[in-house]
Amino acid sequence: MATSFKTSRTWLQKYFSEELPSGEVLADTLTFHVVEVDGVENKGDDQILDTQILPDRAGYLLSHRGIASEVAAALNIPMSSDPLRTPVPEFPTTDKLTVDVDTSYVLRHLGAIMRGVRVGPSPEWLKSALESVGQRSINNIVDATNYVMLNIGQPMHAFDLAKISNDAGTTRITIRRAAAGEAVTVLTGETYTLTVDMFVIADALSGQALDIAGLKGGAASGITEATTDLFVSVGTYDGTTIRKMSQALKLWTDASQRYQNKISPELGAYGMRDILSLIKDVAGADVEGVVDVYPTPPMPISVSVSLSRVNGILGTSYVSDDMTNALNRLSLPFEASTISSGELVVTITPPFERGDIRIPEDVADEVGRILGYENVLPLELPAVAGTPDQRAYCGIERIKDFLVSRGFTEISTQSFAPEGEILLANPLQADRPALRAGLRENMQDALARAVQQAPLVLGPDSMLKLFELGTVFPASGEHLSLVLGYKGLIGKESKTVLEEVVDALLEAFPACGLARPETIDTNVCELSLKDVNLESLGEGYLPAKLALSEYHPFSIYPFALRDVAVWTPEGTEESEVSLAIAGAAGDLLARMDRFDRFEKDGRISYAFRLVFQSSERTLSDADIDPVMQAVTDALNAKEDWEVR
Amino acid sequence: MTQGRLHPLSVAIRDIADIFGRMGFGIAMGPELEDEWYNFTALNMLPDHPARDMQDTFWTKEQPARVPRTQTSNVQIRYMEEQIKKGIAPPYRIVVPGKVFRNEATDMTHEAQFFQCEGLAVGPIGTITLAHLKGTIEAFCKEYFGENARVRFRPSYFPFVEPGVEVDVWFEAPGKESRWLEVMGAGMVHPQVLKNAGVDPEQYQGFAFGGGLERLVMVKYNVPDVRLFYSGDTRFVYGFDETPK
Repeated sequence: MATSFKTSRTWLQKYFSEELPSGEVLADTLTFHVVEVDGVENKGDDQILDTQILPDRAGYLLSHRGIASEVAAALNIPMSSDPLRTPVPEFPTTDKLTVDVDTSYVLRHLGAIMRGVRVGPSPEWLKSALESVGQRSINNIVDATNYVMLNIGQPMHAFDLAKISNDAGTTRITIRRAAAGEAVTVLTGETYTLTVDMFVIADALSGQALDIAGLKGGAASGITEATTDLFVSVGTYDGTTIRKMSQALKLWTDASQRYQNKISPELGAYGMRDILSLIKDVAGADVEGVVDVYPTPPMPISVSVSLSRVNGILGTSYVSDDMTNALNRLSLPFEASTISSGELVVTITPPFERGDIRIPEDVADEVGRILGYENVLPLELPAVAGTPDQRAYCGIERIKDFLVSRGFTEISTQSFAPEGEILLANPLQADRPALRAGLRENMQDALARAVQQAPLVLGPDSMLKLFELGTVFPASGEHLSLVLGYKGLIGKESKTVLEEVVDALLEAFPACGLARPETIDTNVCELSLKDVNLESLGEGYLPAKLALSEYHPFSIYPFALRDVAVWTPEGTEESEVSLAIAGAAGDLLARMDRFDRFEKDGRISYAFRLVFQSSERTLSDADIDPVMQAVTDALNAKEDWEVR
Repeated sequence: MTQGRLHPLSVAIRDIADIFGRMGFGIAMGPELEDEWYNFTALNMLPDHPARDMQDTFWTKEQPARVPRTQTSNVQIRYMEEQIKKGIAPPYRIVVPGKVFRNEATDMTHEAQFFQCEGLAVGPIGTITLAHLKGTIEAFCKEYFGENARVRFRPSYFPFVEPGVEVDVWFEAPGKESRWLEVMGAGMVHPQVLKNAGVDPEQYQGFAFGGGLERLVMVKYNVPDVRLFYSGDTRFVYGFDETPK
């Protein structure tokens, strides 16, 4: 959800007369006061911060000016100048340009005509500023538009005026809906076919679409070395439409990111001021005039909040000065008043770029983060009357405990299935396009795999018993379901294992809505918990609590089995044998289980199954035979022991 | 008879239920397949919110389409709505462990389905604050991870809370480098969310938090890969020694 914005420390420094701290300190400062910094990269004399801008603040933070304003607030150092607080001079007007817009898409559009540009390489400072944040330098005109965007956050585009038709010297632009199937070839060469839900900046005289409005400039009207006159377009477009256009075209640009985060149309005038001035500086052009189409300027809003409300949200005990200092550090204009109780109330009128400040909670966030969330000290919740209701959950856990006590092991499997009654429009895996309607298939699959692993996992246990309790999604409505799985590992499978456990379940939990399934297969049986009254089942029940060890990872390589049986003298303990085996077998021994013991003629026979596995490779006989020889030798070496 | 084993997620949910239970939290549950209102709109994610994009969310082929919920926060709304309907005013305190779904590529730390645990506390205005949120999460972390656990907040943004924070926990374990770990998102319930659930934000406020359960288990027990949790592989469940406590 976050948008990465590469922030240059050198660029930020332009906003301060005081020397800024290192990139690392800036990263920490920003992370704990406003926005996460995901890393600092050293680039020559510069340091580049990878700031992760979230949607609420993207309207002002996708810019060096925005980040600088937050550095100023967090470090409490003044900005030497702020382009958004410097009033925009009145632009000269012109009759050589008309702009007609579709107001359902265009919130504001400023167009300018500039004449006499000299297109060429950018000056070194501009080139290096752009390159420091990963942008390629193209020419002085394109670079200037990119610079202003990265500096104050306003996207813009410059067209070669000569490539647009004119009517006796007057250029006529229209920003309109695209025609179905209308194609635009963009600057980077790709051709996009548009739909009527998209918008273009077009030459009104020829009808030709010049670019995809708000997304990307067109190739046909691009700047070349031969360009002398410019049409400069600084627009503000509807963020929701832009987002849909980007998605449909799979075209995400620096411009579209800013528009979809709803930059203020007020910003447009600052963008126009800055681009006119910068192009004049780097390419020597003159401004003929500007046409500003601004159908409905937004009304400024204000938010009133009392100090006690802010403290009541944060759980702090800030005093009036704390709050007013925080607002001053943020350069948020406010009026302070004192209500009859003597308490401070502030009415903040956020500057246009701070569309994120709308309600008292937003103000609490501003105060809280600038004064530091480390100063919000942990408080214990007040006590509440009564016992918290955990009954339904306890009911579920009671069923699990019952099954675990009968030797069943819980598994968890995925909810996406090859078949089901509810299908996904956008499945992650084409072979699992549905939500599972039951748990049987996954259980069958898990059983099959568990049988393979049983000697390693269960040892010589005679049966494998698994269960899963989870949500299933039949068309009639989701509900919880329970599936039991069984496999006999030794000898013939018993047909009654699952029947017996179902009987036991029904007997243990009578009259709770648990119903006997119509069929109970030998290996798998699913019970719907749809009608089970989990609250009554869980009433007064305390689930067993377990401590887990650190996780022991399993090897992905196959294991191998070997048996060994040994005669030992009367009185020999099993542990003596197992210790002797373990000592001789070494690291490849993954597990051992005694599976037989009997006494005859004053001797005891112990039989062990040894499981060998490596975490690095598949073991062969050549690995295991010498180990088994070592085990045999070690056992035979004991007085009166004899490997059978 | 030999005992079976409980899946480590069940063990973790029991720990959570126990610790939060002692702080007065009940446990609520809700549907995994949810409609747009409860999954998005009521949580202040209006129809043009980026989180609704296809790349994050699964949608069903139904008309109208539903979503395998992208967070357990749907239960916040359903729970409060139900209480109001029953005429039960706050205080409310619940935790909501449950499965959620995200349409993203899977790797060692990302699964398209995972368990989340949501927490919600609502009370009269001024009584449940960001400081209580910090105290509650810290109390949980001290019990779950160890006495030296500490909690810190970083400013963040989630549409259903304001202010919103990321929660880091200072994690110390023998033989491991002590470090700050990002464990959940949290904040003060957005007044619009309370309103959408029928609770008057002029009278009540509260906090909410939510984070991935697998991550807690992975950190606490050193599990290397999140995909193990839904593998249905018995070797995973038997990768832990279970003892009663």
